[in-house]
Amino acid sequence: MTAALDRIEAAGAVDSPLARRLAALDLPKGGFTAAARADAADRLALAGLPHARDEYWRYTPPHALNAEKAEPLPVPEGPQDAPLFEGVGQLRLVFVDGRFDAGASDPLALEGVELDVLSRADSQADHWAGEIYGALETAGQNPVRRPHAILNTLAAPDGVLIRVTGKPARPIHLVYRRSDAGADVYLRHVLRVEPGAELTLLETGMIGARSNVVIEADVAETGRLHHIAAKRGGEPKTGIGHIFARVGANALFKSFELVVDGRMMRNESVIDIVGDDSVAHVASAVLGDGADGRFHHDNTVFITHGAERCESRQVFKKVLRNGATGVFQGKILVKPGAQKTDGYQISQSLLLDGDSQFLAKPELEIYADDVKCSHGSTTGALDETALFYLRSRGVPQARAVVLLVLSFLADALEEVEDDDLRARISERLEAWLIQRAQDSEA
Amino acid sequence: MADLAATPELEVREGVDRETVETVQNMGSYKYGWETEIEMEYAPKGLNEDIVRLISEKNEEPEWMTEWRLKAFRRWQQMKLPEWAMLDIPAIDFQDQYYYARPKSMAEKPKSLDEVDPKLLATYEKLGIPLKEQMILAGVEGAGDTPAEARRVAVDAVFDSVSVGTTFKDELAKAGVIFCSISEAIREHPELVKKYLGTVVPQGDNYYSALNSAVFSDGSFVYVPPGTRCPMELSTYFRINAENTGQFERTLIIADKGAYVSYLEGCTAPKRDTAQLHAAVVEIVVLEDAEVKYSTVQNWFPGDEEGKGGIYNFVTKRADCREARAKVMWTQVETGSAITWKYPSCLLRGDDSQGEFYSIAITNNQQQADTGTKMVHMGRNTRSRIVSKGISAGRAQNTYRGLVSMHPKAVNSRNYTQCDSLLIGDQCGAHTVPYIEVRNNSSRVEHEATTSKVDDDQLFYCRARGMDEEEAVALVVNGFCRDVLQALPMEFAMEAQSLVAISLEGSVG
Amino acid sequence: MLEIKNLHAELEEGGKKILKGVDLTVPAGQVHAIMGPNGSGKSTLAYVLSGRDGYEVTEGSASLEGEDLLEQEPEERAAAGLFLAFQYPVEIPGVGNLTFLRTAVNAQRKARGEEELSSGDFLKLVREKAKSLKIDADMLKRPVNVGFSGGEKKRNEILQMAMLEPRMAILDETDSGLDVDAMRLVSEGVNALRAPDRAFLVITHYQRLLDHIKPDVVHIMAEGRIVKSGGPELALEVERNGYGDLLAEVG
Repeated sequence: MTAALDRIEAAGAVDSPLARRLAALDLPKGGFTAAARADAADRLALAGLPHARDEYWRYTPPHALNAEKAEPLPVPEGPQDAPLFEGVGQLRLVFVDGRFDAGASDPLALEGVELDVLSRADSQADHWAGEIYGALETAGQNPVRRPHAILNTLAAPDGVLIRVTGKPARPIHLVYRRSDAGADVYLRHVLRVEPGAELTLLETGMIGARSNVVIEADVAETGRLHHIAAKRGGEPKTGIGHIFARVGANALFKSFELVVDGRMMRNESVIDIVGDDSVAHVASAVLGDGADGRFHHDNTVFITHGAERCESRQVFKKVLRNGATGVFQGKILVKPGAQKTDGYQISQSLLLDGDSQFLAKPELEIYADDVKCSHGSTTGALDETALFYLRSRGVPQARAVVLLVLSFLADALEEVEDDDLRARISERLEAWLIQRAQDSEA
Repeated sequence: MADLAATPELEVREGVDRETVETVQNMGSYKYGWETEIEMEYAPKGLNEDIVRLISEKNEEPEWMTEWRLKAFRRWQQMKLPEWAMLDIPAIDFQDQYYYARPKSMAEKPKSLDEVDPKLLATYEKLGIPLKEQMILAGVEGAGDTPAEARRVAVDAVFDSVSVGTTFKDELAKAGVIFCSISEAIREHPELVKKYLGTVVPQGDNYYSALNSAVFSDGSFVYVPPGTRCPMELSTYFRINAENTGQFERTLIIADKGAYVSYLEGCTAPKRDTAQLHAAVVEIVVLEDAEVKYSTVQNWFPGDEEGKGGIYNFVTKRADCREARAKVMWTQVETGSAITWKYPSCLLRGDDSQGEFYSIAITNNQQQADTGTKMVHMGRNTRSRIVSKGISAGRAQNTYRGLVSMHPKAVNSRNYTQCDSLLIGDQCGAHTVPYIEVRNNSSRVEHEATTSKVDDDQLFYCRARGMDEEEAVALVVNGFCRDVLQALPMEFAMEAQSLVAISLEGSVG
Repeated sequence: MLEIKNLHAELEEGGKKILKGVDLTVPAGQVHAIMGPNGSGKSTLAYVLSGRDGYEVTEGSASLEGEDLLEQEPEERAAAGLFLAFQYPVEIPGVGNLTFLRTAVNAQRKARGEEELSSGDFLKLVREKAKSLKIDADMLKRPVNVGFSGGEKKRNEILQMAMLEPRMAILDETDSGLDVDAMRLVSEGVNALRAPDRAFLVITHYQRLLDHIKPDVVHIMAEGRIVKSGGPELALEVERNGYGDLLAEVG
């Protein structure tokens, strides 16, 4: 799609990093997404890529995410699927280097769900996802620009389109695999949860050497969406993700992400609460180790309350060691008239050594008076008293640290509603932590 | 401030509630809104190097000071207005301002009160400054020789751009404390001014500090020598009177090793339709084991209900705890100004140094405030505490903006921040923008913030006991601010209580 | 069992001297009580014995059945059979009481070269021991000490002791904050564990706990030393006359 490039060049950005980056891409022409992609090109030409001087990039250097090409990352040998959700009844959809792999996936059939993949559907001129594709992303650009999400709208070739009309018995599990060491992946998932419908969406695996993933989720009134992502640990990765959710009346949206290791990652959650009496929760548990080069993880959250009697909750916990950096930028915006809002936000960091750092900007912006909003943020080392208590009961130091880290993360895990899924994540986390404790002892 | 002199030192905290209620009943909406018609001497409107030289000349400054100002002016010309605050600031024409104004009667010192411009005296009277201090302030020769009375607050009054007099000078001198106008300090104590001026707030720190460095016309200077506890509270009283005049005062406070001083600052301005600019710089240097308390009751004219007029208050205040165990405490009650842009900060460089910030910011009608603090921990075992109470009513916008930064070397340090906002009415806004940067793990940082509306149950309870709605709100808001009010010196606590009530007039019903 | 000789300890930070030559021997099968006014060093002794950070031993020794305690890490001391019931049990949000107990029991078994308990055996054992302390299933599921009342926390300490079966148990002001019923429950728990191969050191400010847990020997501690030792009657004397007379008497 050279038209997009032309537009960007016409905007005077001929030799910009953005133009160079786009030149290297095979931009999809788009069927039902064509208009949105063209619009994205115009918007991107104006916005440009993020700059280190931008207020919302003050704590995360954008270079690695902006760079023309992904830094190649050797593909690990052996199976890549995290067995985290093995045994859970589920519909598996596999993406290899960001492309849908029909052979490895379950058939696109699940009762109560209309399923499609973007690469196939986008040859059509009309599709239900056309109303959402790029629309939620565009709405989420105000007041803070998110250029990588615009880039995704322009460039994403594939992803899943999920329209939930009932209550499917199984969760949909997006499984990511890598085969190409240089894969620079753009993925776009579009979800529509119809009134009264309910879905659990799981994400696991390794997306690419670098990834740019956007999820647009439109949860209609009385719809319910649970999103649980657990990204495979032990591998450096660079990526940016965005979730744009629109939450209707009496609806529920819950998103939880577990992150273990990585290199340079930023996740933005942009939640727009538009209907009364709805609930939106965003939570994350992050374990970062800077030992293999660096670890930088940024959670940027923007929750807008535009309706009455809604509840929002942000729970972010980071455990950092060996010079790891954790960033949290969270905002609760309560619009005029969004009375009886209950907004809560907690960001906490546990620094396991003196080299690691936590940078936070937890914001409240409130234009309605009958609200209850609060935020808290703490940063510090392990509680020495609790550590001693455990050791005095005979628990060895390393194991005691594991227990205290789990204790620290517990509030975030609580955000996973399903007991079975939560238990699996918790066990996995514990196993990881114990393994790491043993590795560092060895 | 105005009531202070007349108010005996009664038990403020017990008397608080009754006082608040009475104040609501007795006071006009902005009682300092009168204007004094005094013949003024102005420099021409606008700003250029000649004006900067003129200000320097009028103050009889040495060459080095003139150069210092010119350097700042050139810097300022290169700078841009800061835009990051959550403030809607109308365009300011910096060339449409007077940068220097002073009462003509100050050109020669009067011999007795009879010779003092009666209007100037009337001004002090309205401000509630007692006669003896009026005499001293008016510059009557010999007035300072009379023994001090019970109220032990030394006052330096700044009327428009010029310090018009300082009280208790001799007694302070006996203790070795220097308390004078900064213009006098530049002439009389150049070694101290040269050593410290601009070392806490560099000229180019921000747009307004650069402007201030170029054109400040006067302000206060305090030096407390090693091991000295200042024998009384020091106070500066600022008043903007002349129209279209910016006020740019500069305050420099130095607490030498082991010294202690408590400093109070009060401000008022007449009611005018046009906005007035106030861009002050306060620098505090705190050396080993020294302690400074700086309290402000800022009651500049906030503009009328439609948002016309009022003071634009763009102030840079910073304390530098330069050596071990230095301690500084900022307390501010911000009720006035159309726009407030102000972040009294602490650089905690010395090991075991401490910074505290207590703030009440009240905005009503069309007022806007973006205020808070910076606690920069650089030394080991440093401590800081932030308690901020923001109250927003009418169509006002009130933002707390703060930075807590723990440098890698600031091991074993602590910060606690409590930041509460109260909303009165559904047309106003309350915002919190904290930056928390922790770069070592032996330090602990805790931040808590809440936003809520005035508690209906509390209001009902008060009204059921016979208070009207405004009285009830004033009472409840005073309760909300309690932690900060208690941090104020006695005299100011009283003033602040009344101000809380006055500022919220018309916010309910 | 426990042998303390001329133990001196000070605060690491500031160097304040707290223990100034403690001599104490507790033979197997016996219960010894340490009483003393506030600030006499009772709790510090408990912490130093169990290896809490922040104290520096400057002189003397402490051993458990001949093994030097002071060189060991806290968990090694626990595995060696030392148990401290905390005056202020620590809350650990997010970690279930059962998880905590099982981790501790199995860590100690492993350290001693014993088989770890299976989940089934462990649960059976916990339920049995919990019942006698009136600790219900809900308390076992809740996070460690979070939201527990004062009495519940102390009962939980005794449950841990019952599960860990130490050879030497130190009870630090276990009676503080307990009402009469809780005190009886806790005491019964302790008494049930009395055995010929086990010893107790009960630290308390008041005599009343000693009505329930009968000591063989009572020591009075003051200014960082044991200043007087005697039979149970010594506790009654303190109860009647306070510490003043007693301390004056020993100078």
